[in-house]
Amino acid sequence: MHILLAEDDPAVSIVIQICLEKIGGHTVQLVGDGAAAVSLASREAFDLIVLDGMMPIKSGLQAASEIRAAGVVSTPIIFLSAKNDERDIAAFLKLGVGFIPKPFEPTMICAKIDTILDEAQNGTSNRGAS
Amino acid sequence: MTIRSQLNLLTAVVIGGSGFAGWSAFEARREIEAYDRVMNESMETRSVLLLMEDLPYHDDTFRRLNLEKERLKEPDRKQAFNSAVKMYAAKNPLELRRAIRKGLRVEADHFNKNRGRRDVIEARFEKLMMVSLCILAAGLLLVMLTVHAMIFKSLNRLSRRMLDFLVDRYSFQFSQPDQSELGDLQRTFNSLAQRVINTTDELKRLDSAKSEFLSIASHELRTPMTSIKGSLSLLASGVVGQLDVGSLRLIKIAEGETDRLIRLINDLLDLAKIESGGLPLHLNWVQWDDFCGKTLDGLASLAHKAEVRLELVSLPAVEVNIDRDRLQQVLTNLVSNAIKFSPKGGAVRVTLSRAKTGELVVSVSDTGPGIKAEDREMIFEKFRQGTSAANPLVKGTGLGLAIAKALVAEHGGSIGVESTVGVGSNFWFSLPKWRENEAVESKSEAA
Repeated sequence: MHILLAEDDPAVSIVIQICLEKIGGHTVQLVGDGAAAVSLASREAFDLIVLDGMMPIKSGLQAASEIRAAGVVSTPIIFLSAKNDERDIAAFLKLGVGFIPKPFEPTMICAKIDTILDEAQNGTSNRGAS
Repeated sequence: MTIRSQLNLLTAVVIGGSGFAGWSAFEARREIEAYDRVMNESMETRSVLLLMEDLPYHDDTFRRLNLEKERLKEPDRKQAFNSAVKMYAAKNPLELRRAIRKGLRVEADHFNKNRGRRDVIEARFEKLMMVSLCILAAGLLLVMLTVHAMIFKSLNRLSRRMLDFLVDRYSFQFSQPDQSELGDLQRTFNSLAQRVINTTDELKRLDSAKSEFLSIASHELRTPMTSIKGSLSLLASGVVGQLDVGSLRLIKIAEGETDRLIRLINDLLDLAKIESGGLPLHLNWVQWDDFCGKTLDGLASLAHKAEVRLELVSLPAVEVNIDRDRLQQVLTNLVSNAIKFSPKGGAVRVTLSRAKTGELVVSVSDTGPGIKAEDREMIFEKFRQGTSAANPLVKGTGLGLAIAKALVAEHGGSIGVESTVGVGSNFWFSLPKWRENEAVESKSEAA
């Protein structure tokens, strides 16, 4: 899969990138903030967009709604978030297919993404995998 | 004016007023008695004179009258009597009759005059008695009203304010304390209440600052932990290149310790959240057997590794009103502790029973080394672990039981431990909200 990953913490983003590339065998485009994610998503086609919830310039939710507004309607979006209150989860599920609560083990991220995409495809509950 | 001086003044006025009236009445009474005596005497004189008019002329009578004369006191009466007796002695009936009539007239005047004065004084006496009683009664009434208005009303107000203060901190103040002695009491109460409020506010501020600090610190710690743990996992898994055995061993140690640090951070954040009330429960009716079975399934591998048997003793068809995830955290903590402290071949038993008070009690008993009496209360506090010499390799964050205690309390229950050193421990917690579900029971019987 060709994946867009937006995550502001450089250490976390590099570890996730390596996991996605080495374990999952995906290709990853890395950006450090929400605005960059919006511009890249509207220029290039991706199979999956992974957005961190809290990023500088534009938050994950803001970026997601702008990506949808820019005409990218079918690409699934998954959120990474340390905030996992009921309200946050509801907001994530409105714009994306699921979310992965932080902290998670980076090596498990491929399996989690697969689970969320499977569930979304089968039309079952698209709650975040934890 | 203070209450004391008001009461003193009032009492003095009442005693003075009623005392003066009473004394005057007493004096009047004495005067009346004096008049009564005088009137009695003149009645006697009259009766003697009237007796004399009907007397036969006889010497014995004359002698008796002379004796009677001694009883008379007033000089003019004595004189009238003397002249009457002289007439009698001169045997002049006409003169005698005239003298007797004159004596009677004098006595009658005397009597009437005295009776008139006596009646006036008697009326005054009655009036004075009445006034004295009225002053006393009015004084008592005034004293009662004063005491009521100044003392009981203020005391009531004070106790009401104190009760208010217990339930609501804002209505405590006496903005205008009374001018009396009770005003001092009210002012003292004001400052005491203020001190309590200041202290409570300070404590709350400190507590929320602490919670906030913990929460921020935990968040800030989590992000780097994620990348450290991820990097170590990647290195250990070999996807970025094979490592030699020595390096791999060190990486594994670093990974294990990172896991421990992550657990500690998670526990800290949990506890901070529970304590600041930021962790609302999502209560649902859950079938106990199902819940407990699934929780123990998750611990089966740990038990297997430690070679400890897991046993489940339950009541049929019981449903509990719990937050599934949170109570699972509690049960997992207690059972994994029990497994960790049990020797190889030991058994951990999870028992559901009904207490006399009607609550459900969940007990987790082990065959471990037991807990010393002095440690039993302490282990539920933060970062306090029992001094276990038996298993120094068992490492925890020291927060598990504190979290369990807080979560059980959120469910309205309590938590505790009974233990005998060398025999084992029995951790229990209670759940007040439960019910029996007949439908589930009959279904399971049918199956």
